[in-house]
This record gives sequence, C-alpha cells and structure tokens, in this order.
Amino acid sequence: MTSSHDPQLLKGVLSLLLLHLLAEQESYGYEVAQRLQAAGFTDVLEGTVYPALARLEREGRLTTRLVASSSGPARKYYRLTDAGHQALATGTTGWARHVAGVDAVLARPLPTAPQKGS
Amino acid sequence: MPHTVTWLDRLRIEWVVWSLDQRLYDLPSRTRIARRREVRANLLAAAAEVGAAEALRRLGGSRELAQEYLNAELGDGPRHSWIAASLFLLTTPLLLNFFLDEAANAYQQAIAAVGPHIEGTFTWHGVAGLQSSVTFVFHQGQASRTGGAWTPLVYVLLVVGAVASGRLWRALPRRRNQDSPAAGEAG
Repeated sequence: MTSSHDPQLLKGVLSLLLLHLLAEQESYGYEVAQRLQAAGFTDVLEGTVYPALARLEREGRLTTRLVASSSGPARKYYRLTDAGHQALATGTTGWARHVAGVDAVLARPLPTAPQKGS
Repeated sequence: MPHTVTWLDRLRIEWVVWSLDQRLYDLPSRTRIARRREVRANLLAAAAEVGAAEALRRLGGSRELAQEYLNAELGDGPRHSWIAASLFLLTTPLLLNFFLDEAANAYQQAIAAVGPHIEGTFTWHGVAGLQSSVTFVFHQGQASRTGGAWTPLVYVLLVVGAVASGRLWRALPRRRNQDSPAAGEAG
C-alpha cells in the first residue's frame, strides 16, 4: 500500500482515477473514496473526492441518481455518461503516453557526479 | 467495525454541514442544497463505518471543502460574489440615509438656533445630485420635514456599486461553462 502521494501529482490524475472507478461500478461519494483508499491512495481526503465528483458532474462526464438507503438519507450514485467514457478513454491514452515519456527520460543513465573543486 | 451513530454524532455532523452550507451561498440554491444533502449522507455513512470523529477528520475542514466545491462549480479563476453584492446593497442605503439625515438635522438645527419660536418655511436643496429638496416648516418652535427622497442617480449608483463590489459580470454565462467538458482532459 502506498501511504502518501504528491498532492500535485494526485490532483492532476484524480479525475481519471474517479472516472475509472465509476466505469467499473456505479458508486456514491463515500464508497468512491473508500475504493480509492483501498486502491492504495490511503491519504486522499474525502473532502477532495466529493468536489472532484461535483466537477465531473458539472462537466457532463457523470450523471447521478438518488438511491434510498436503509441506514440514512438517500445516497447519490454516480455513473459515467458517454462523455465520461470518452474522457476516460482519452485520459487513459494520454496518461500512458505521459508515463512512457517520463519513464523514457528517467531511465536514461546519469553521468557520474562531478567532484567538488574540480 | 460498525459504529452506532449517536445523537451527539449527528449534531457534530450537522454542525459541519451547516458551516459548509454557510460558505456555499454563492452557489445556486438547488446546487447548494444538493451538495449539503450529499455531504450529510456521506458523513453519516462514514460515521457508521469508522465513527464520527474519524469521518469528520477525513472530510477535512469545512472551509477547504467549501473552497473546493466553489472551484468545482464556478471554476478556479476569479469569480462573482452574491454575498459581497448583497452586503453592499444592504449597508450602502443605511449609511447613505444616515449621512443625509444628519445633514438635514444640521440644517434644521442651524435654523432653530436663530430663535426658539421661529416660524416659517425653509427649503434646503439637499446634497446635490443625491436627493430632492427638503422643506422644513417651523411652527411654534416645532419643525416638520418633507422631501429629501433619493434621486434616480442614487439607484443607478446602487446598481453599479452592487455589480462592481460583487463582480457580478463574472456571473454571466460564459464560454467557460459551455466548453468545460471538452476543455480539460480527464487528468
């Protein structure tokens, strides 16, 4: 399990993770956060996830429906729209290209560190 | 391990939901109500699973959460504020009335200072551009006052001031709202 992630890196990829989780299975906010934490993002606050879902909904990538809950108020379940599926596909391709590019640079051997005073 | 959500837990949750709601007043009321209900439902679910204290800790502060919600709904850039515009519209008329009234009182006292039994009708033209003439009628030492209404210019200034202080032009529908789905990619 990863215990911490660079918040800036995570912020950039959080939407993509949420789209993928919701493409796997329709979920409500807390459940999405739980699944994200179970995937290793243990330090992601729910307060980061809920607004990210709201943003995706506003952008038309998610749609919602209320489902009655036996243990409390009705829960708002999110699922992907067609635009969401398209964004997920595009984002996944972009992410793979990004990772490949970063890996290609990071895999290059480094020159030996210059000696002090030389 | 499941936790029992006590009334005290519910109160703590309601307090956080309320304080979040207070910070979301710039959102349309339907959106604000939906966010409030969603956060409450999620907090109750979390409290039942991990306890209210942990659920609230994992939510983060209501201030940060509200900021995230506002960014999510209205965008990251500078935005309008209905609260600022409302504050301007509520306080400016009060202050304006106070100062205009004080000015009229000063004029009335200046006339009354001439003599305790002064008689007659006096007209003060008011603060130029902001109010109509004020007529004072003195009879047996008692003064009555009519006039002093705001001019149309004041109403125009109130509207302009509210728009300026609340930066309300940013609330107008923009291309940003229309092209968002295509603009930023999922990442």
